[in-house]
Amino acid sequence: MAETQALDLDLSAVGSARVVTSAFKQRVESMALGTAVIVLLLIIWELLPYFVSMKQGTRLFFTVPSRILATLWQMFASGSIWAPLGVSATAFAIGLALAIAAGLPLGILLGRSNTLNAMFDPFITAFNATPRLVFLPLLMLWLGIGVWSKVAIVFLGALFPLLINTHEGVRNADKLLINVVRSFGAKEWDVARLVVIPNSLPFIVVGLRLAVGRAILGVVVAEFFGAQDGLGVLMVRAASSFNVDVVFAGLIIFAALSLIMTGLVKLVEERMNRWRPQRAATE
Amino acid sequence: MAAQDLPHASFIERYRNAVLGGLAVLLFFVAWQALFLIVPFNPLFITKPSLIATGYVDLLESGDLLHDLAVSAVPFFLGLFAAVIVGVPLGIVMGWRVRIGYALDPLMTVFYASPLVALAPLLVIFFGVGTAGKTIIVFSLAVFPFIFNVSSGVRAVDRLLVNVVRSLGGRERDIYLKILFPSVLPYIVAGARIAVGRALIGVLVGEFFAASEGIGHAISRFGDIFAIDRMFACILTVMVIAVVLTEGIRWAERAAFPWRVGR
Amino acid sequence: MVPYIHARNVNLTFRPPNRAPISALDGFDIDVEEGEFLSIVGPSGCGKSTFLNILLGLLKPDSGEVLMHGKKITGPGSDRAMVFQEFGLLPWRTVQNNIELGLELKRTSAAKRRTVAERLVSLVGLGGFENHYPHELSGGMKQRVGLARALATDPDVLLMDEPFAALDAQTRDLMQVELLRIWREARKTVLFVTHQIDEAIYLSDRVMVMSKRPGRAKKSFIVELTRPREYEMRVTPEFNDLKLEIWNTLKDEIVV
Repeated sequence: MAETQALDLDLSAVGSARVVTSAFKQRVESMALGTAVIVLLLIIWELLPYFVSMKQGTRLFFTVPSRILATLWQMFASGSIWAPLGVSATAFAIGLALAIAAGLPLGILLGRSNTLNAMFDPFITAFNATPRLVFLPLLMLWLGIGVWSKVAIVFLGALFPLLINTHEGVRNADKLLINVVRSFGAKEWDVARLVVIPNSLPFIVVGLRLAVGRAILGVVVAEFFGAQDGLGVLMVRAASSFNVDVVFAGLIIFAALSLIMTGLVKLVEERMNRWRPQRAATE
Repeated sequence: MAAQDLPHASFIERYRNAVLGGLAVLLFFVAWQALFLIVPFNPLFITKPSLIATGYVDLLESGDLLHDLAVSAVPFFLGLFAAVIVGVPLGIVMGWRVRIGYALDPLMTVFYASPLVALAPLLVIFFGVGTAGKTIIVFSLAVFPFIFNVSSGVRAVDRLLVNVVRSLGGRERDIYLKILFPSVLPYIVAGARIAVGRALIGVLVGEFFAASEGIGHAISRFGDIFAIDRMFACILTVMVIAVVLTEGIRWAERAAFPWRVGR
Repeated sequence: MVPYIHARNVNLTFRPPNRAPISALDGFDIDVEEGEFLSIVGPSGCGKSTFLNILLGLLKPDSGEVLMHGKKITGPGSDRAMVFQEFGLLPWRTVQNNIELGLELKRTSAAKRRTVAERLVSLVGLGGFENHYPHELSGGMKQRVGLARALATDPDVLLMDEPFAALDAQTRDLMQVELLRIWREARKTVLFVTHQIDEAIYLSDRVMVMSKRPGRAKKSFIVELTRPREYEMRVTPEFNDLKLEIWNTLKDEIVV
């Protein structure tokens, strides 16, 4: 193990001028460089108005990081953010929960039945390839501009990564392992409990990570076009009144939520991968 | 032992699946049409396949559909093209020069993970509802799949092959042309498959906002005037285009890079 | 008296969809005595594994009778256990939990399972690795787990389907020695499928050669070597004579 790693390092040094360093030093270097670039860009952005003169019209659209942060701080300090955030979070949570409730059983079902799989395949392919956004006007027509059209978009966005990954995990279950537990007298339910479900868990978690990202995206776009409340609505209104700070503050909140939630799922993923050294599943 | 002529079997298996899938789709549309024999039909909220077909004919005869598609295609392809032009070289550099990778990876990850669509209102107001605004939205969504796929493709390049070329007297140029590019090509195509979907989102977002033409605008306008049949016709068109694009790329991947099948 | 395991005129044809049927076993006969160590050698695809799977109860023959203890085999049972060529360990379970699998499915209490697993871990020489995951083990160690798992339910018959084929040559030799040691302690009836004539002779009381597909019993050879077997026996003239004799029977069946 240690041997192959050393070999890898050595060979990868061929590609660059890098000398062989310890893994720790490498990590420090990568973090330092990555942070430095981001900080540097933020500083340049902040100082830009001092070096570049902008037309009146352009200045309307321009803001600097410090002002965005101040706005963000103010939104939280005054508590004005909680109501719209709560509205968005509700749609997110309901939609994601429904997607999990529908996606997992359906994924397992399709994974176990070749015939059903073949019949559903065209629909899954079509819906998965199409940006779910295209259904938004229709959903608004059917469900109104309240929380349910948002829930529907979140649901449609999150459903397919969950369904497809679950399906993949179930189908991928090792025939040999199924035979092994059968040879010990396992019934159909034992096979599911002992082999099929544990095998598909890592796939499901990857699906969940993708689904979280899609769900947040769903909330954002749904609120842009057809909602009365929510963080996205706040952003569109701010944009149309040239309140650029609020738009960026909203983006930061969405991005932070997205990073935090996918990060949490990643933690689960890594914990799960204790028994398998290689990466689990398809994205 | 029971699996010796598997390729043959899997061909027939696939054929069977196609038939089943086709039947299911047919059944779906027939059931949809038949449903309204039992259920009362409210044309303001729902439609049926026969009406969608009529709507299609209308849209095709008037030339509206083709016009809207053409309008949407321009920012779609321009944005994608720009994403390739920027994303592929950036990805190669980030993958090949380790320090540049270190420096830019976190920044790009933040961009990739954040719902950049959230900037669409700003971009639309700033650049307008025409081609420019939409192209920029498409670009900003589509560029990241290229960057990340290409850089991980470069990192996955077999260093042994690089050494082989070097040991045979190859220069830097040979490494790029004979090793890097062919190895990365599949990753570019895989990136394109993801980028196409995001580019479609970009076009739709741009056109839902405030456009006066384009397929996205058509869908939301038909919704506003309760022209459900034509709305469905447009939605189905977008679905077909999305499927043709992504499955087309998938097919191209299999045809062009058979050595990657099963990876 | 009917032998311990008794199979007569066993036929099994695989019928994969859209393809020509494959006759795996055609008129296969076998008798095994209680406590016997029997090896089955034969060309690839001759139905050796198929027969083990029938004995295990995972496959049903189209016709013919397969009896154990005079009773027909109708499905898997805790009187038989298999050691698989590719180990078949559940990758998300530790060594200990893999060994406990069969007992768990027999609804044995956790305390009892633990005791049994502890005993088997030391029997197969895996002390200290109880909480390791399969991917952290070498091939030889994985198969020790596979063996312990099979022994855990205390079966009367151990079915071994090319158990050492996935191991390198040296590990394989060591595992053969280990298997004999464990067999001396556990005293099971063993049906051992292999491609290696050396291995078959060294381990077994009797070696049965199968014909090419569709498989049937071609000829049996009694191994006269004394027990306990010593590694040195593998270079004796008796050993080599038998090996040659078996090879001459087998080679006509091998299709390249």
